[in-house]
Amino acid sequence: MRFLPFIFKHLRKNWIRSGSTACAIAVCIFLFCTLQTFVASLKGFLGQGTTRLITRHNVSLLFRLPNAYEAQIAAVPGVRRVAAANYFGGMRDLTKPDDAFTNFAIEADSFLPMYPEFILAEPERRAFLGDQHGCIIGRALAETFHWKVGDALQLESDISAYRTARPLDFVVSGIYRTDQIRYPGTNESVLFFHYKYFDEATGKKVGVATFRVEIADPRQTGIISHAIDNLFENSDSQTHTETEAQYRASLGMLGWSLIVLLNGIALAVMFTILLVTANTMSMAVRERHTEIAVLKTLGFPNRLVLSLVLGESVALGALGAIAGLLLGRFLINVLPNVPVIGDVVKGFPKMNVPPTIAVVGLGIGLSVGFTAGLFPALLAYRARITDLLRHV
Amino acid sequence: MPELNAITVADDAAVAVDSVCKVYKRDRQRLVVLDGIHLSVAEGEFLALMGPSGSGKTTLLNLIAGIDRPTSGSVVVAGTDVTALSEAALAKWRSRSVGFIFQFYNLIPVLTAVENVELPLMLTSLTKKERRERALTALRIVGLADRGRHYPKQLSGGQEQRVAIARAIVTDPRIVVADEPTGDLDARSAEEILDLMQTLNQEFHKTIVMVTHDPRAARRAHSQKHLEKGVLLKSEP
Repeated sequence: MRFLPFIFKHLRKNWIRSGSTACAIAVCIFLFCTLQTFVASLKGFLGQGTTRLITRHNVSLLFRLPNAYEAQIAAVPGVRRVAAANYFGGMRDLTKPDDAFTNFAIEADSFLPMYPEFILAEPERRAFLGDQHGCIIGRALAETFHWKVGDALQLESDISAYRTARPLDFVVSGIYRTDQIRYPGTNESVLFFHYKYFDEATGKKVGVATFRVEIADPRQTGIISHAIDNLFENSDSQTHTETEAQYRASLGMLGWSLIVLLNGIALAVMFTILLVTANTMSMAVRERHTEIAVLKTLGFPNRLVLSLVLGESVALGALGAIAGLLLGRFLINVLPNVPVIGDVVKGFPKMNVPPTIAVVGLGIGLSVGFTAGLFPALLAYRARITDLLRHV
Repeated sequence: MPELNAITVADDAAVAVDSVCKVYKRDRQRLVVLDGIHLSVAEGEFLALMGPSGSGKTTLLNLIAGIDRPTSGSVVVAGTDVTALSEAALAKWRSRSVGFIFQFYNLIPVLTAVENVELPLMLTSLTKKERRERALTALRIVGLADRGRHYPKQLSGGQEQRVAIARAIVTDPRIVVADEPTGDLDARSAEEILDLMQTLNQEFHKTIVMVTHDPRAARRAHSQKHLEKGVLLKSEP
């Protein structure tokens, strides 16, 4: 500990080099944390609902299924619950696409028990189930639009088939919260309202985009999926049933390949920064041949000299990591308000740097510092005083 | 004529160099830098080692200071055979027993004068306050008590060398070795440094071994030894 001021004085001496190296590490940690937060969010999102299947039209989501299918699906052995759910695409003002947010018409009686990740206070749940015009919203959405329980709002769909004579009226019955530890990546920016209201408002002729199917045994997903699809094999509207994870992955942007790509980018960035930092530390040690010789002459043991060089490098790594974490945390919070990027982020489940990723990020910063400083430190450790002094 | 192997190592000597050879091997070449050196420096003596460039005087000084090892022979300094010590033990011995003054001062640029002087004390168990007090005392001895907070770049060459001397004596070593301490200084500063070294020798009873090219500097010493081509020449009074 008594040598810490010595280490920091050296870092301060070449503050431009120290600062730029710390910045490089900060960018590395920031990218790592942001990408891993995104990946964790994505994984959690994709990995949810192991006991849930989604049945949709075999051709595309643009085609809808008859309401009558629900009873037949519910009768398949192993099926516990079925709920219709249609993406509504409702907006407060169709001329303001920036205001867009995710909203679904759901059969709340069966949908809510099926999705424990949306946590509602019991009075609010009862209020929602008892009011056909009621809706529930996520906490993030409530914060974005400053909505509170009891507020009235109107939504008009941007999907032509769902257009009604006048916008649909809603009253906020409750604000759901999420448990990001048990259910990471759960979207806090969704509005759910009653499918029955939607169905009646659209003249009961639109049909169901997806049936959410809860099954008793997750090992039976394949068998039950086939059983459901076999039911409608000879009908006009054939179905395609898959797990919720597969369904989400099939939406395109949420593929596992994206996770691999993001991890690859994170690794490449880290390796590059490692090389940059190692080069910087080597330069720092090369420039200090005389100083290392002096320390050794004064009686500093080789191990202490090694520790000082390593300490400097690790301190640089720690500074960079802390800066990177703060930057990551800050940017993840402000990203939704950034034009263009914000529109993409808003539609994605709420992200936050989880403590585990923050700890790993800090660990990587320290490791980069340690690894980068190890070789120069070993050189300093092994160097003989007379050889070092000869460089003067 | 060179006087080879003619000096008997005294038992009570502060420095006793006996039959020391130092050979460097480069590729297939064998370069003999010191050849059978015998040297004895009495406690409290001020010795000047002189000789042309490449004669081996700095190598001999490094052996006495324990920062290099001989190829053969023994070097006993302050009662310790430094050739028998491990690297770690040698470092510890250096921190306690010997003070080194370099030609180019070699102060740490990021540390103030007092921090530079305090540096060797970082290896002791002294408290921060004790270390600072001792460092200031050392600076007072060299006449730079008022420049403790200055960085090396804010000091003149002579002042830097004085700080380096304070650093060399702050642990109160028995032996002080100096490698051309006036080699980078103007005449006036060189005189001041030599005065200071004489003070260290006469008032603080430090045994000093100084390498120098300068005959005026050498005259300040009690005795002079001359090296040529790795061999110690006949001593002058």
